[in-house]
Amino acid sequence: MENRLRVLRAERRWSQADLADRLSVSRQTVNAIETGKYDPSLPLAFSIARVFELKIEDVFSPNGTS
Amino acid sequence: MSTVRKSYFGCAGLLTERDARNLRIFNTWMMGTLVLWAGTTILIERHVIVWPIGWGLTLASFIACLRTTQAYIRFMRDSDELLRKIQLEGLAFAFAGGVVFMLIWRLCERLGAPKLDCDDPFLVMMLCWALGQYLGTRRYASTEP
Repeated sequence: MENRLRVLRAERRWSQADLADRLSVSRQTVNAIETGKYDPSLPLAFSIARVFELKIEDVFSPNGTS
Repeated sequence: MSTVRKSYFGCAGLLTERDARNLRIFNTWMMGTLVLWAGTTILIERHVIVWPIGWGLTLASFIACLRTTQAYIRFMRDSDELLRKIQLEGLAFAFAGGVVFMLIWRLCERLGAPKLDCDDPFLVMMLCWALGQYLGTRRYASTEP
């Protein structure tokens, strides 16, 4: 699964720690999602979309379709 | 819920404040249980204590084990989802390592290898658990600060 987390975060000038605080997860979780090492659970994916005020499909997409 | 800087298998920023607190509680119970269990074992084996006290200490060790298990379950339930994944992989490592070790060593015993106590595979499981957590941390988390 691909995501636009790094881009969206950069647009808002948030650090990984800032985003982690907003999501109540660890900074390493944000890092692992951004680098594609880890796919978040559905509740966390929805939380991420909500934090960026976007639809979930605007943040995440299956491999090769973003 | 900010991320704390405490290192976890050489990786900073993997523990949230809640995870660090729960891990601290679990570690405290685990160390207390180990000390109580080891002390009880030594006292019973050396016949230092009479049997009612021995049974009392054994019961105390059992209760301490249950509280340690409870603390670990709470740590797992409340933990950050990446940390939970790393922990689950560590537990899978421990289970697989323990089972493989017991099965293979049983064959080795029949070929003349020394017989093991029932708590020896436990040590292998603990080592595999630690190794699984280390590998999981290296795999999913960045070790850069």
